[in-house]
Amino acid sequence: MRPFTRSALRPYVCPSCRSGRLVGRRRFGSKPDQAPDVYDVVCVGGGPAGLGLLAALRASPLTSKLRVALIETQDLQKARAWSLDSQHFSNRVSSLTPSSVSFLKKIGAWEHLDTDRAQEYQEMQVWDGETDSRITFDWSADTSPFENLPTVATMTENANLVRGLLSRIAASGDENISIFSNTTVSSIENGTDHPDGPDLSAWPVLSLAPNGTAQSQLPTRIAARLLVGADGINSPVRRFADIATEGWDYNRHGVVATLSLADPDQVSFPIGTRTAYQRFLPSLGGPVALLPLPNNHATLVWSTTVENAAYLKSLSPKAFIAMVNAAFRLSMTDLKYMMRMERPANSASDYEDLHESELTWRLQHTPQASQVPPMVNGVQEGSVASFPLRFRHASTYISPRVALVGDAAHVIHPLAGQGLNLGMGDVASLSKTIEYAVDHGMDIGDILSLEKYTAERWAVNAKIGGVCDMLHKLYNVPGHGPVAWGRSLGLEIIDRLPFVKGFLMKNAEG
Amino acid sequence: MTNLRPTIRKATSLLRHLNSPHRAHSTSVSADELSHFSSLANSWWDPMGPSRVLHLMNPLRHDFIASCLFDSLPPPRASAPETSTPVNNLRYLDVGCGGGIFAESLARTIPTNANSPSQTVTQAASITAIDPTSALIKIARDHARMDPKVEAHLRDGKFTYKNCTLEDIVASQRETPEDEKFDIVTLFEVLEHVDSNAASSPLAFLTNCLRVLRPGGWLVGSTIARTFPSFLVNQVIAEAPWPIGVVPRGTHEWSKFVNPDELYAWAQEGLMRSQDGASLRAGGDALQGMRWKCSGVMYFPGIGWKLVPGSENWGNYFWAIRKGL
Ligand SMILES: Cc1cc2nc3c(=O)[nH]c(=O)nc-3n(C[C@H](O)[C@H](O)[C@H](O)COP(=O)(O)OP(=O)(O)OC[C@H]3O[C@@H](n4cnc5c(N)ncnc54)[C@H](O)[C@@H]3O)c2cc1C
Ligand SMILES: C[S@@+](CC[C@H](N)C(=O)[O-])C[C@H]1O[C@@H](n2cnc3c(N)ncnc32)[C@H](O)[C@@H]1O
Repeated sequence: MRPFTRSALRPYVCPSCRSGRLVGRRRFGSKPDQAPDVYDVVCVGGGPAGLGLLAALRASPLTSKLRVALIETQDLQKARAWSLDSQHFSNRVSSLTPSSVSFLKKIGAWEHLDTDRAQEYQEMQVWDGETDSRITFDWSADTSPFENLPTVATMTENANLVRGLLSRIAASGDENISIFSNTTVSSIENGTDHPDGPDLSAWPVLSLAPNGTAQSQLPTRIAARLLVGADGINSPVRRFADIATEGWDYNRHGVVATLSLADPDQVSFPIGTRTAYQRFLPSLGGPVALLPLPNNHATLVWSTTVENAAYLKSLSPKAFIAMVNAAFRLSMTDLKYMMRMERPANSASDYEDLHESELTWRLQHTPQASQVPPMVNGVQEGSVASFPLRFRHASTYISPRVALVGDAAHVIHPLAGQGLNLGMGDVASLSKTIEYAVDHGMDIGDILSLEKYTAERWAVNAKIGGVCDMLHKLYNVPGHGPVAWGRSLGLEIIDRLPFVKGFLMKNAEG
Repeated sequence: MTNLRPTIRKATSLLRHLNSPHRAHSTSVSADELSHFSSLANSWWDPMGPSRVLHLMNPLRHDFIASCLFDSLPPPRASAPETSTPVNNLRYLDVGCGGGIFAESLARTIPTNANSPSQTVTQAASITAIDPTSALIKIARDHARMDPKVEAHLRDGKFTYKNCTLEDIVASQRETPEDEKFDIVTLFEVLEHVDSNAASSPLAFLTNCLRVLRPGGWLVGSTIARTFPSFLVNQVIAEAPWPIGVVPRGTHEWSKFVNPDELYAWAQEGLMRSQDGASLRAGGDALQGMRWKCSGVMYFPGIGWKLVPGSENWGNYFWAIRKGL
């Protein structure tokens, strides 16, 4: 046999555990030859992708009998117990595309979400802050006014989704499933050949370490027929499988916040229709987006330079609100000015008014664009935060007995709100791949079973990630030069070409 | 993804000493075929190796068997315990199992614990897999150990590899009651490797397969038709040098390919012969309850194999014969 199967697998040891290793040994621990506990699927990572995969496997009659395990560093008990009142929202909110929602419905997870906290929107306003060229994503042209408008996406707090998935998994019973929460994967190595039993020398074997006060009867070593890396951007599983990634940091941060809105200026039609707004701000490093939440709330995602992000986070609530309102209304020049305004050292009350009054004054001198979001009038305490924006793409999603899903496989710019949806697409495809393999007696960890998954997902994800990256770059050239001119043409062309628009609106289901 | 990398036929002489087929009985085994397949042993399970085409076809075998069982299920044995929920209870024999691509995949569908309620589409309860090439049986056994579930079946006897000929199985079953024989006999990509000479013929080989099958059971196989398109595809294109070719040179001899109508005639003849008594020759009633199924499969580069009914004269096809009750 070609050495391929084994050479692709390299031991991964969590950096903090490395010091404790015996020197020069492939393994550490006391009972190396004791057979590990064998699972069909071991999923590292209990974020939306990992939990989504588990829920999908439990939902299908073909895969519900597989012996599965999930390992998550964080305390999932907190995620299960998560609860907020109807006027407060988590600041990590994702827009789920209709195909993600229908997948969640298919696996019986959607009904476990608190859908009163989720907000659909039917229209999207996107425009260029530099040239004002605009693209309106609404369906009213194709729909009669009496029909309900199709949903562009559904805003859902990640915490609501995660809690719903956990509850869906719990509803599937506790047979053949082990969830190790509060537990870190401390190393992944190849198993050994047990002369009187199976030869596990090409199987990944994980060593688990409880964090502080975790469960008592934790098996220390578990073997995986299929090891799934749903372990986020720094994926230990990806490192174990030695899968290369390409990528770069955007040197931008996404500033998020939960906001409350003044009453909408215009009554929407049909009643209840909600709109998402996104304005590209080339001179400030990226777009600002305001996405609707229930009860006249909204979530903010403002992609901007690291310095601007730090500036925004340091502002008082009033000044922060003024900046957000300005971001959708003022000219680039005005905005850049406001982004550099002095912030008095100690919170003198007149300093708050500085941004506010600056905005009021400048608004009087700014012609108003036809469609801007309602004014923001409140920011939820403690909800302003920022995340670094990065691009990563693994060279493949599979290796013998390994598959990557979600952010472990790809991280993209959030400007189209696609990151989590790509992860849901991965999970739908991988669970289908596993079903087919089980039904046909294939080994679910075998490359021959898994290659369908990477073939189905890699190019799709590369395309969507690429479009987002291209838009990011296009909308980072400030001024009115040829790029801006081309851009205005671009948005107008997009507006006229149903295909491109459809691609952006439906966010490419595949 | 589908980058096919057949290895050149090599090291044949080195491996020749590995071939020690049992020759206790008159045998259908051709020495040339044995040395050819021995040389492929090392790469048998390489997903990108010369057996990739077989690997890709394997899931369709499960689908085809499932369609046979859907048409007509072998009746439960008189000895079988009554169960309220459907369970896997069919006994399989895989003839010419090679490195175990099909046998291992079928073994994986056998439930580990007997009271597991779910029934799989192929309903396998046990499988015996035989091949005259000892190097391949060794590869098959070693590979099976790399899956704890399959390895457990090797130990509990639900899965057996035997380095023997079909004739050995026939001999060992001489005293076996009809009802205790195999429910399903599989013969994937083997018939085209059987010699036609004084001692051996595809007809005799098929007859033996039918002898070890119980009434109501299915003999299921796949092979290649001996037609002009198949000549072009299998001899000229498939065995062409890399990167066009998908199977190693010397894998097929076109003259050994079998057409569906020939096979159908052999099946009828074989059914009658397999039921010949010691003194009495079986006649047309041996064909009662017989069924014949046939479906072409085609390989589409980049997509894989697809069942394409009506394409059986074009090359690869699945066929099945049900032995009447
Ligand atoms: C500002 C911003 C806005 C976004 N907006 C959107 C949006 O609108 N729509 C959208 O679709 N997406 C959006 N995204 C992207 C989305 O949040 C991510 O794609 C998604 O959370 C990824 O889910 P995941 O399950 O793949 O990974 P994660 O959520 O990162 O989960 C990985 C899990 O693995 C665990 N883990 C890691 N290592 C180990 C270990 N060794 N042992 C055990 N456990 C481990 C971690 O604790 C973590 O829980 C946005 C991202 C950002 C930064
Ligand atoms: C192309 S391989 C097919 C292997 C396996 N059935 C599969 O499809 O994966 C053909 C196999 O037939 C075996 N074979 C050749 N002549 C045979 C014979 N007369 N009786 C039984 N098996 C034979 C060879 O050893 C070889 O393993």
